[in-house]
Amino acid sequence: MVNVMKGVLVRCDQAMKQFLLHLDETVKLGRKFIIQDLDENHLFISADILDTLQAKIDDLMDQISFPLAEKGN
Amino acid sequence: MADNGIGTSKQEISTLITQSNLECKNLYDYLKTRPSNILERLYNHPAICLAVYRELPELARQYVIRILFVEQPVPQAVVASWGSQAHSREHNYVTKVLTELNVWTEGSLPGGLLGWILSHTFKRNLKIALLGGGKSWSMSSALEPDKNVRDINFLDTYSSERWECVLHYMVGSQQQEGISADAVRILLHAGLMKRDEDDGSPVITRQGFQFLLLDRHAQLSFSTLGKDYSTEGMSQGLLIFLQHLREFGLVYQRKRKAGRFYPTRLALNITNTQSKSTVLLEEDTPKGYIVVETNYRVYAYTDSNLQVALIALFTELMYRFPNLVVGVITRDSIRQALRGGITADQIIGYLKQHAHPQMLTSESKQPLPPTVVDQIKLWELERNRLVYHEGVLYSQFLSQADFNVLREYAQSNGVLIWCNKEKRTLVVNKNAHDDVRKFWKKYSKGS
Amino acid sequence: MGPPKRPGFKSDKSSKKRKKEEENTWIPEDDDVAEGEEATVPGAAARDAEKNDDKIQEDEFGSKDYRSQMILKPDNNSRPLWVAPNGHIFLESFSPVYKHAHDFLIAISEPVCRPEHIHEYKLTAYSLYAAVSVGLQTNDIVEYLKRLSKTSVPDGIVEFIKLCTLSYGKVKLVLKHNKYFVESPHPEILQKLLKDPVIQECRLRRTAEEEGDGFITQVQDKKIIPSFGAKPGTSTDPNSEGTPVPDDITNFYEKMDNEEEEEEDTGLQTVSFEVNQEKIEVIQKRCIELEYPLLAEYDFRNDTVNADINIDLRPSAVLRPYQEKSLRKMFGNGRARSGVIVLPCGAGKSLVGVTACCTVRKRALVLCNSGVSVEQWKQQFKMWSTADDSMICRFTSEAKDKPMGCSILVTTYSMITHTQKRSWEAEQTMKWLQEQEWGIMVLDEVHTIPAKMFRRVLTIVQSHCKLGLTATLLREDDKIADLNFLIGPKLYEANWLELQKKGFIARVQCAEVWCPMTPEFYREYLVCKTSKRLLLYVMNPNKFCATQYLIRYHERRGDKTIVFSDNVFALKHYAIKMNKPYIYGPTSQSERIQILQNFKFNPKVNTIFVSKVADTSFDLPEANVLIQISSHGGSRRQEAQRLGRILRAKKGAIAEEYNAFFYTLVSQDTMEMNYSRKRQRFLVNQGYSYKVITKLAGMDKEPDLMYKTREEQGLLLQQVLAASDIDCEDEKMPGEGGRGGSSGSRRVGHMGSIPDDGVINEEYAFIELQGDLKSHSETAFDGKFVGDLHFTKSGTPLLIIGHHLMYGKEMKLEKPFALLEKKQKNDSTDYTIKCVIRKKIIFKTRPKPIVGV
Repeated sequence: MVNVMKGVLVRCDQAMKQFLLHLDETVKLGRKFIIQDLDENHLFISADILDTLQAKIDDLMDQISFPLAEKGN
Repeated sequence: MADNGIGTSKQEISTLITQSNLECKNLYDYLKTRPSNILERLYNHPAICLAVYRELPELARQYVIRILFVEQPVPQAVVASWGSQAHSREHNYVTKVLTELNVWTEGSLPGGLLGWILSHTFKRNLKIALLGGGKSWSMSSALEPDKNVRDINFLDTYSSERWECVLHYMVGSQQQEGISADAVRILLHAGLMKRDEDDGSPVITRQGFQFLLLDRHAQLSFSTLGKDYSTEGMSQGLLIFLQHLREFGLVYQRKRKAGRFYPTRLALNITNTQSKSTVLLEEDTPKGYIVVETNYRVYAYTDSNLQVALIALFTELMYRFPNLVVGVITRDSIRQALRGGITADQIIGYLKQHAHPQMLTSESKQPLPPTVVDQIKLWELERNRLVYHEGVLYSQFLSQADFNVLREYAQSNGVLIWCNKEKRTLVVNKNAHDDVRKFWKKYSKGS
Repeated sequence: MGPPKRPGFKSDKSSKKRKKEEENTWIPEDDDVAEGEEATVPGAAARDAEKNDDKIQEDEFGSKDYRSQMILKPDNNSRPLWVAPNGHIFLESFSPVYKHAHDFLIAISEPVCRPEHIHEYKLTAYSLYAAVSVGLQTNDIVEYLKRLSKTSVPDGIVEFIKLCTLSYGKVKLVLKHNKYFVESPHPEILQKLLKDPVIQECRLRRTAEEEGDGFITQVQDKKIIPSFGAKPGTSTDPNSEGTPVPDDITNFYEKMDNEEEEEEDTGLQTVSFEVNQEKIEVIQKRCIELEYPLLAEYDFRNDTVNADINIDLRPSAVLRPYQEKSLRKMFGNGRARSGVIVLPCGAGKSLVGVTACCTVRKRALVLCNSGVSVEQWKQQFKMWSTADDSMICRFTSEAKDKPMGCSILVTTYSMITHTQKRSWEAEQTMKWLQEQEWGIMVLDEVHTIPAKMFRRVLTIVQSHCKLGLTATLLREDDKIADLNFLIGPKLYEANWLELQKKGFIARVQCAEVWCPMTPEFYREYLVCKTSKRLLLYVMNPNKFCATQYLIRYHERRGDKTIVFSDNVFALKHYAIKMNKPYIYGPTSQSERIQILQNFKFNPKVNTIFVSKVADTSFDLPEANVLIQISSHGGSRRQEAQRLGRILRAKKGAIAEEYNAFFYTLVSQDTMEMNYSRKRQRFLVNQGYSYKVITKLAGMDKEPDLMYKTREEQGLLLQQVLAASDIDCEDEKMPGEGGRGGSSGSRRVGHMGSIPDDGVINEEYAFIELQGDLKSHSETAFDGKFVGDLHFTKSGTPLLIIGHHLMYGKEMKLEKPFALLEKKQKNDSTDYTIKCVIRKKIIFKTRPKPIVGV
């Protein structure tokens, strides 16, 4: 017997992985999406969450960035 | 040519979310995607053989010349022995290139040894191109002196005007001069433009944007600049094609029906990737006009709508003076360009290529402030913190042996993307799922 | 809490209940929050050329399209500027006429950014006011701008310049014989002003001597332009390069340059009326509203009432070209103009101040923002001028100088302005100080002083001329707008990059080091409350390792390193763990000096940790490496000030590519990234660039770095999670206000609490509580944190213990108590009086729970 599941393999750094786990645990994307926590740098997740997830990551990056260049007004 | 990203396994880590990028950035990239029968047909033209030959890496050109007059396969071991062992990587690479382009094929020698033999068509026509003979294809000697003979300057101006006209058309800038329906078709066909869904008018595609940021290289080869060539002996199709080239400024023909044409510098540069940074191209491109400051300000000394449009692809523009555009590179502006399929390297490359001469007199002697270059790359990296790979996860194997069997199968087929022995879990490429499943069923039944 | 009992508080240092606070005044910079108090500006100043853009069309690429607004000149290549209709000006720094254009633009406009190639300036009402006050005329400004421009100058800009300059610079405020006068060469303007009831109110009529309009008429004498000390060889290098400078530019430049100094060369008749001193600010404000801002000028050469002081520059005092230029702006017409000179930290602001005092040669008052600075100013006077100890006096709580009758008085803003009871001596000194007619008042670090404090200074001190010195005038700050009219216009602002190129300030490599959060810390960061986040990203083990590595790396190079941390928990943890000395708010003056002396002279002390107390007041010329591990949000000013700590020109300044290093360590994927970028804006606009380092080369191979193992990191995380809310906050400075905004917050047993300017050094008090204090762990309270003691604005003590709050009151003890320490040595016993306690703070009320903070 073997268990077979379709999904998406995610490779990322450890901090990003924590972020994904956090999103999953707190159901920030509306539902759980991590199928299996593989190792420090890999997760296996549902394929249909990708767009939502990527948008959330963009949000995070937007939040921690700041426009360096001023338009000088 | 050696450093064109081929051979690196970038494809493997491509993300699902990235968009299709401009694929064929040079002649080689294009040709290798063609089936061998098409290549064989192309090699019927000596000019094409010459162009392909010029595009080859230096080592490959050596090999071709050495076996050009050998009529039987040359043992592979012999070819390999021409270079030192230390350079076996280059050898392997050019072997691959020559094979992919169908320039040579594998043939067996008496006694079972494997050897290389040049494609017959390629060999014949390259000889013609290099030595003359055969059916004449571009015999300038057959022409009377042109009384409207064109000098190089004239051809340069002509070609850059035509070329700009096409580019202007692509960016949809308002100052465009019309271009022919054929030219539009070519752009559409090349995927650089597409029909708008609403009104059907041609609009630029992502690939088109990338195309604009590229050097002016395409896929044609002619002989010498400033020399005229006869159109005699050209088929009707070739003549139409010539008109296309004319429109793009690659060749000059005084009148459609004139029996001669001149290749322009643009056309020559297009094939000559080796001379990317040499005089040829510098004369072709306008003088550097972009100043990039350490505070991400961009100042472009230009009044050309085309240049402004190009800069606007990755810059937030603020002010437009008669001879200067002021803008700023921001995270948003770069991300927008990245989303459009333009890469950080393309942006940096473009800014470097067009750096204002003043930039090189700066403290750092760099055409671009290093911190800006770094930041553009970091913004690109930021988008790739997560790498996605569609796959199928196999877990809960009953035995280590079962796991090992499947893992070995997947690995040997190059479809294994993750595995862990302790957890008896593995992930295979999604595309390979059917194949792996079949194997597994067969294996399970058998055991 | 149980039945009443007197708890014994004990601090970790000594039994002092109050410690002397920093005299330093720190005003947090809130970029996005405007001060409630609006600065008064002339109506014209409210005009904004930016609005000229409203009708401008955007082109297809989203830029404002000015092409139809201007015509490109055929010889545009030899002219250096573009002038946008919204007042923004772009200048090619590589133009052969750059020098001419730069001098001109710095006089008429504000620099927006000055990186290497193209500089941006902006015309504002203030900048034009400044231009007029240094003697430029409306027509000259317009004409020269036209000549320098590559294109025609938009009409709207010409209009704007005229509007902002025509009425400026016509009326002056002059202090003569201890009396203030409003003076003008245009009688009609004074008449016009006097029709205003407010101004009438301010006018002081002494006798009936004033007939008719009552104006006092006077003829001014010829001016003598002062020269400043020993001048270095003239720095004018005529451009020898190819491109010719259009004649109309060179000719005009020379004309303007001369005019500025020869202006009013012939005897000029002026009229004036006297003003009541108490109404000075009122009349200033009113004149601004009437669009005739008063310029303050001091004709010190003709001041016969105030005796000259015997002070000159030493021959060894050589002014750098930019220092001289800034002084020429101040003394350009032979009088002393009031205003602000902006020079980067380390570029020699004090020499400019000393030279100004030596030029005026009248009694001088120097105000600075800390006791340490007072000492440093005194040293500067002794170094550059002939003034000796007998002439220079310090007026601080610590100095034993006798200030009365001195020529140069150096003190702090808070010393002058505080309202608490003073010692008898201090009271006398203040009285004397207020009676004097000071020739010049030098205001150091003027940007750190809030307008309110400033106003108090101005009502207390009468001074003929005011010179503000600062490194960072952050222009969108409303307080700065106030300064413009309270002190005077900005007279000069140096270009950082140029000074760096010429070796006048250090060449600093700025770097932002990205430290990935460890997964455990990041996990907590994602779930914890906002207040805890700061501590998590500052204490990120990867940041700790990076700090440790950088310190070692630079120690090996023989560098001197200062590590800045605004967060006290982190400051102590890092410093103690790495065994380095540290200075923060509660560190005593003597300990500070000891640490700084060691840092300076002891080859074994090469790294010190400091909190924000070191942002402005410490001069540490030895330091050439700065590592920032935690900072005050997005404050651009703090960033610039900190950079200033290592800017003093280093030996071999030109030889190396960089001779100083400024690292900011940020924890990746946290808000710190955002703050870090926010902080950099000002310096980036001065041409600095921050290299992002995502990986420190060599760190992997560095042995024995702490917090590298999961175990160590886990323990650290426990400590961070156990830290109190107070630990999560940045160190608070006096004047900064507590979280509630209305009270100063100090921890019991750690720091003093009454805003103390140093007049009263140390004070001790009992605390009397209703109830019992119990510790959870059943251990003694020694060295433990007990609670927060606050004082409200009205002085009511407020004690917070746990989640309970108590209001109390301060009471004077009928008879003072003495605290004795008994020490037994061998067979003898010593009793030492540690302190005398004169008051107690009683908390009688029932503790109230704190709800919903």
